[in-house]
Amino acid sequence: MRNHEDQWLEEIYRNLLPQVARMVHRMNGNLEMAKDVFQDAVIIYLEKQRQQTLPANVPAQAYIMGIARICCIRKMKQTGRYTSLENINSDISVPADYYALPPVERSVLNYVKAAGKRCLQLLQAFYYDHLSIQEIAAGFDFKTPHSASVQKYKCLEKVREQIKQSDYAETVS
Amino acid sequence: MRKQLAEIREIDRYLLQEMTAPVRLVFQARMLVAPALREKVRYQRKALQLLFWLAREEKRAQLDIVFQRLMKEDHFHQSITSIFK
Repeated sequence: MRNHEDQWLEEIYRNLLPQVARMVHRMNGNLEMAKDVFQDAVIIYLEKQRQQTLPANVPAQAYIMGIARICCIRKMKQTGRYTSLENINSDISVPADYYALPPVERSVLNYVKAAGKRCLQLLQAFYYDHLSIQEIAAGFDFKTPHSASVQKYKCLEKVREQIKQSDYAETVS
Repeated sequence: MRKQLAEIREIDRYLLQEMTAPVRLVFQARMLVAPALREKVRYQRKALQLLFWLAREEKRAQLDIVFQRLMKEDHFHQSITSIFK
């Protein structure tokens, strides 16, 4: 069964991917690039929505198109095909860390993912999805928000320790 | 909450910029004189960056599933691929 977000994503794909694809095509990009740019724009939009940092007077579709344009220009610049950065709405921006490389080696990523799925889900719910500790307590079946909060810090400690260990392993190898 | 977790919470507040200006200044001063605390802050910052990175990767995978599903529809497939012909 499709959840509410999947339905919203499907609707956004139907309404906006053709527009993004035409824009990417005009900039000499291909379908793969259109898909990537569209997905980046939607992810950034959803993040800003959760952080409640979307500009008040810009409709969702216009915002996503604006972000897609910035992402497209960025990709074109990387390939040396396009350089214009004019007419960018200052209300629309890409998070500074969005195109950052993974903060740890791929092997560590996989290890962290495999070692503590529930921990990762809990941490992502708090830090990425911006759910309140009450929502997390209810969603993850904790008896009280306090126990959810304690578990959150234990999980953070676990992930931090894994990163530290991998860093030491890299240093001595 | 044990001492170690209390410290993690404190670092968390620092990284999420939830400290008041005076408390933040005191914390920064403590970091200057305590390399161990500085190191913990560095790894905890990396942990948060990692969480974001993984969450975005998961979101991209979710979006990809929707894309693949829609591309199986003739009309949608045609409307997108015809743009690049």
